[in-house]
Amino acid sequence: MRELVCIVCPRGCTMQVEKDGEETKVSGNACKRGAQFAKSELTNPTRTICTTVRTTFKDAPVLPVRVSAEIPKDRIFDVMHEINEVKVDSRVGRGDVIIENVLGLGVDIIATSDLLREAKA
Amino acid sequence: MLSYDVVVIGGGPAGLAAAISADKAGAKTLLVEREARLGGILKQCIHDGFGLVRFQEKLSGPEYAERFIDEFHKANIDALTLTFVTRIEKKSDGFHVALVNRDGVETVLARSLVLATGCRERTAKQVSIHGTRPSGVFTAGTAQHFTNLLGELPTKKCVILGSGDIGLIMARRLTLEGAEVVGVYEAKPTPSGLTRNIHQCLHDYHIPLYLSHTVTQVFGADRLTAVEIAEVDNKMRPLAGTEQIVECDALILSVGLIPENELAESLGVKLDPKTKGPVCDGQLMTTVDGIFSCGNALHVNDLVDYVSESGELAGENAAHYKTSARKMVPLESSGALLYAVPQCLNLNEDNSKTIVYFRSREILEKCTLHLKIDGETVLSKKYPFLRPPEMEKLVIDFSKYPLTETSKVELDIEVTENA
Amino acid sequence: MNLQKINKKLSARFGDAVRAKLSGGCIVLSGHVHSWQEVIEACQTAAQKYGTVHVVNDLKCDEVKEQPMRMPKIHDKALDGRKPDVLIIGGGISGVTIARELTRWKLDVLLVEKEADLALQASGRNDGEVHPGIDLSKGSKKHYYIRKGNEMYEQVCKELDVPFKRVGQYVCFNTGWAKPLVALYCLYRKKHDGISDTKLISGAELKRREPNFAKDFKFAISNPSSGCVCPYGLTIAYAENAVQNGAEVALNTAVVSMKVSGGEIQSVETNRGTIYPRLVINAAGVFAEDIAKMAGDRFFSIHPRRGTNSILDKKAGAFMHSIASIKELAANKAHSKGGGILHTVHDNLLVGPDAIETYEKENTETHRESIETVFKRQKKTMPKLSERDIITYFTGVRAPTFEEDFIIEPGRKTKNLIHCAGIQSPGLTTAPAVALDIADMTVRALSKEKPVEENKDFSPIRQGVPVLREMTDEQRAAKIRENPDYGVIVCRCEEVSKGEILDALRSPICVPTVDGVKKRVRPGMGRCQGGFCSPLVTQIIADFLGVPLSEVKKSAEDSVITFGRTK
Repeated sequence: MRELVCIVCPRGCTMQVEKDGEETKVSGNACKRGAQFAKSELTNPTRTICTTVRTTFKDAPVLPVRVSAEIPKDRIFDVMHEINEVKVDSRVGRGDVIIENVLGLGVDIIATSDLLREAKA
Repeated sequence: MLSYDVVVIGGGPAGLAAAISADKAGAKTLLVEREARLGGILKQCIHDGFGLVRFQEKLSGPEYAERFIDEFHKANIDALTLTFVTRIEKKSDGFHVALVNRDGVETVLARSLVLATGCRERTAKQVSIHGTRPSGVFTAGTAQHFTNLLGELPTKKCVILGSGDIGLIMARRLTLEGAEVVGVYEAKPTPSGLTRNIHQCLHDYHIPLYLSHTVTQVFGADRLTAVEIAEVDNKMRPLAGTEQIVECDALILSVGLIPENELAESLGVKLDPKTKGPVCDGQLMTTVDGIFSCGNALHVNDLVDYVSESGELAGENAAHYKTSARKMVPLESSGALLYAVPQCLNLNEDNSKTIVYFRSREILEKCTLHLKIDGETVLSKKYPFLRPPEMEKLVIDFSKYPLTETSKVELDIEVTENA
Repeated sequence: MNLQKINKKLSARFGDAVRAKLSGGCIVLSGHVHSWQEVIEACQTAAQKYGTVHVVNDLKCDEVKEQPMRMPKIHDKALDGRKPDVLIIGGGISGVTIARELTRWKLDVLLVEKEADLALQASGRNDGEVHPGIDLSKGSKKHYYIRKGNEMYEQVCKELDVPFKRVGQYVCFNTGWAKPLVALYCLYRKKHDGISDTKLISGAELKRREPNFAKDFKFAISNPSSGCVCPYGLTIAYAENAVQNGAEVALNTAVVSMKVSGGEIQSVETNRGTIYPRLVINAAGVFAEDIAKMAGDRFFSIHPRRGTNSILDKKAGAFMHSIASIKELAANKAHSKGGGILHTVHDNLLVGPDAIETYEKENTETHRESIETVFKRQKKTMPKLSERDIITYFTGVRAPTFEEDFIIEPGRKTKNLIHCAGIQSPGLTTAPAVALDIADMTVRALSKEKPVEENKDFSPIRQGVPVLREMTDEQRAAKIRENPDYGVIVCRCEEVSKGEILDALRSPICVPTVDGVKKRVRPGMGRCQGGFCSPLVTQIIADFLGVPLSEVKKSAEDSVITFGRTK
């Protein structure tokens, strides 16, 4: 049995996960999303990452970005490395794709702010 | 002199929500923001987890803020950015708000005010850190500003004091950017931040958390070179003989937030020593008629969703504000409750859906919140646990109870099991 | 006291470990002791208060860990071959006041300061009180200059555009029986020592003036001539005025050695080249003894004394509006500095300082115990005082001699040298008056070689950076029309605009560091201590200098703020 703290929402339930043959039993969770989280934590833990990319604009040297969906936990630093290679040179906006299908993970890196559009040229 | 029904001071999540709801309620509204861009502190909170309650989505800070900013602009609400309020005076025709910006000095008239001025961070000297005065001592928010807005690395190897949420978020953020976080040290025996942040920000990245430890001294003549760590007793006093020196180039502090209410105080608004925010009624009106408070200026929130909620409430009530006598009854919080907001009720208003925010003083398991009127329990709600870092919200219909100005209205927690 | 008596006392206390002998007109102490406290005791035993035969400390002390003077990082030849008429060593209040007074004459004046800014040691690390002199008696240099200096403050601060307020000082007593004695003491001070404004006020009157003071005060000495000034603000203003009138100020410049022959300083070695001055003024604070030694003129010793002050939030500033201390007749009075509470020109409260003997000249660390001791004492004056209102604290190191008086005189052995040494409290008060005398001595000495002409272009007026928060709306609007940057508030706590910050960077002595800007126009001085504004100020400095953000410093060369881009 493993004890886990759910990170899906601020409630932070403490859950017990037990593998019973093929079946994974979760208890202590307050919702379905907690159970899903617990199961994936055992098999394929994933995380979101939020960071910034460099831009060529002086008024906004960095632009916040995030992954469009969760990525495997053990690929976080690989993805960070990819993001750090990019330099944004057009005034992209919130939701725009900065890197498509990063490292073939099927996940995009997207801008999370209209900062560059708001800022003066 | 330009005249408005409602002037909102502060363009962060609370102020944005307040301005939007005041506008919706038909009030001619002005929002004043001292920074160049709207969004407040969320501009630099690039991590996700915002909006779960409100949008059932995990948004980053900028995404959350910009949803409101878009709505704000769509509604064509007046805004003055890069504008600083230097002074507010209450006169017979309303509030005279003196503003300074690149265009000069201007005074606008407001029938009612919403103070959405946010909070500031407690500093190193306010938690008795001694030693030299090198560069490299940052509050977590300042480190976050350098990292996320300016794209500059404030440290290569740091110690974080305090386990508040921003400190935990910054531990992860700096690690992602290639810095080493030696450890997070917390003087209290329990963490100050949300449990999930302990897990996803520290445990995920193998950053150790040391409870009942504090930083007592910093070293370094120019740049910080090391800090002294000590264990603390139950009164959070350093224990002699437990000192150890940890080499690092920065000390990052996440040791508490203080609501910013200097403007409010200048207007005679009474503050609650427990929340350090204004004493408010259920409409979030302060002790001064026509002045409303919301967001982190009212009390420090852990979730922005509630910040927006209180902003909306304050904005709407400010829009409907009319000079009329208030009939007040205090709403007391006692015992294991750290605080409850609002601190009083205006019996001349509709109190059928009063939102009460509260926190427990310590970690409690299996406990019951009681609403008592004149000593008699009229409402009870069970909680599997209550933790000081996690604010609770409860909607209470006070109109059901025959309240008068002399009623004793109390919130109390009965503990069945102490953790 | 003769030497025999001194040695008798010393041997009674230290046995054979410590000896005093007369050498070159000084009492030289030699021997070996364990603790620095013993060094202090021995030297104090040998010293006569306000005496002019000085104690020179040659004692070996186990506790002392010799530390080299902190040196600036920079090494170049910027000053190499400079031949100024006057070289002033030290950019504290003494050095800059002398520099300014010397620019009234057609002289090439060069001031060197080893730190990255002026007033970084004792002159910037004190409470800024302009003292009345009530505790000083005739015969000392301190007393000779105190009233002169005090009376100069209105004019000097007006000329230099520096805020100064005569807020008055109270020495409070809770022992009613002492009143007749204290009345006599005041009368004596008034008649004999010329402290003309001193008077006694009743407990009730004190209560009326300062309602938040302790209720049990029976009476107080009131000194209305006491005031407060921003000590680093005044130092910077004096230096700027000196520069405007032709003096040169070289920061990050440390004196490392001197060539002396024929009883004269021939050259002075610095990290920025060799300087050949006609005359040297020693205003080096805690290092004055070291400079004297380099110049072959060591006839006194400095024993550093540390003191810590706390700065309280402006909200606490409303608790009282003067300067106050408590006098407890039963308490032991080891030092004159028991500390006090002072309402500053910026409306904060300053609480402290304490007084701790130390061999470390440059250790400005703070300690929890200092704050606790000071607050314990000062709460007796004003019970409302709370550590919770502290926004920051700092330590300064005073530079007294064992005679506890100033040394303001030409070199005793070296001819082209003037000492302004042993300066401690009330050195800030006396500085304007001392500078007049030292300038006079300098001009007389230099006139022996060739006549010194008056500088007809000298202007005593220095214009500071405008302070917009103190202006009326109309004045402020006019300034913003002139320069819209005055309308952009960068520091919310102290209400400082971008325009004021840029003005500070364009001022006569540009110190483009976060601390340099902070000292000049106050961003970061408020309750958030730069939490919100420090990234903005750093960015403004980077833009002004045209350098990356990571090259902006807090103060000294190694005090970087960031380590470069995150990516």
